[in-house]
Amino acid sequence: MLDIDFADAGVVMLKGRLDASQSEKAQTFLDGLDQASVLDFSNLEYISSAGLGVLLRTQKRLMASGGGLKLINVNNHIMDVFRFSGFDHIFEVQGAVDP
Amino acid sequence: MNEKFHRSFDSLQQIFDFTERFYSAESIDPRHRFAVNFAIEELFTNMVKYNAGNPHRVLIEMEQLDGELVAHLTDFDVDPFDVTVEREVDTESPLQDRQIGGLGLHLIPKMIDSIDYDYDEPARRSRITFTKALR
Repeated sequence: MLDIDFADAGVVMLKGRLDASQSEKAQTFLDGLDQASVLDFSNLEYISSAGLGVLLRTQKRLMASGGGLKLINVNNHIMDVFRFSGFDHIFEVQGAVDP
Repeated sequence: MNEKFHRSFDSLQQIFDFTERFYSAESIDPRHRFAVNFAIEELFTNMVKYNAGNPHRVLIEMEQLDGELVAHLTDFDVDPFDVTVEREVDTESPLQDRQIGGLGLHLIPKMIDSIDYDYDEPARRSRITFTKALR
């Protein structure tokens, strides 16, 4: 399951799993963004290629109008996926700080 | 441990419940679980996307063997599709040139240790086996 909603200061909080069964829900929410935005991944446990597609589609749309996504508090597993897919070059990504 | 799953993205929650039961039963270190779930989701959703009308369920089997996690995904009454054939995916171009899609199969070998594909022609059965070292 995936929860996605606005938190303080317009930051978008994601919680749970961004897999193929949840990508439509995430895309619908992110399609509502119309400016540069911060996505907080501190409670996002997992992402698959379906989730990467959602992020890429949103980034393309926002960058075309001068915005873009910043992804913060990204866990090590998701960071690996970003590196392997080259997403660390097309998004501003900030890893989670180890406790 | 094995179970069959309906060919639908909606089966993913049941699949992840199944893998969690396996991890608990076999005391699999949590650091290996993301990669195994990732490979299973990408392979399963590939089967869903390219044989949507096929009524057969997909069989997933998992076992721990000689320090490795071994997973098999078996698809019934399908044409061959070798997921181990390397497919070019652009991971270096600027944003505007990136394509949406195709990343899943490209990423799997980076997450796990081996992957094999077998097709039984008379039975029209595809069987994918991958391993993840549990070191």
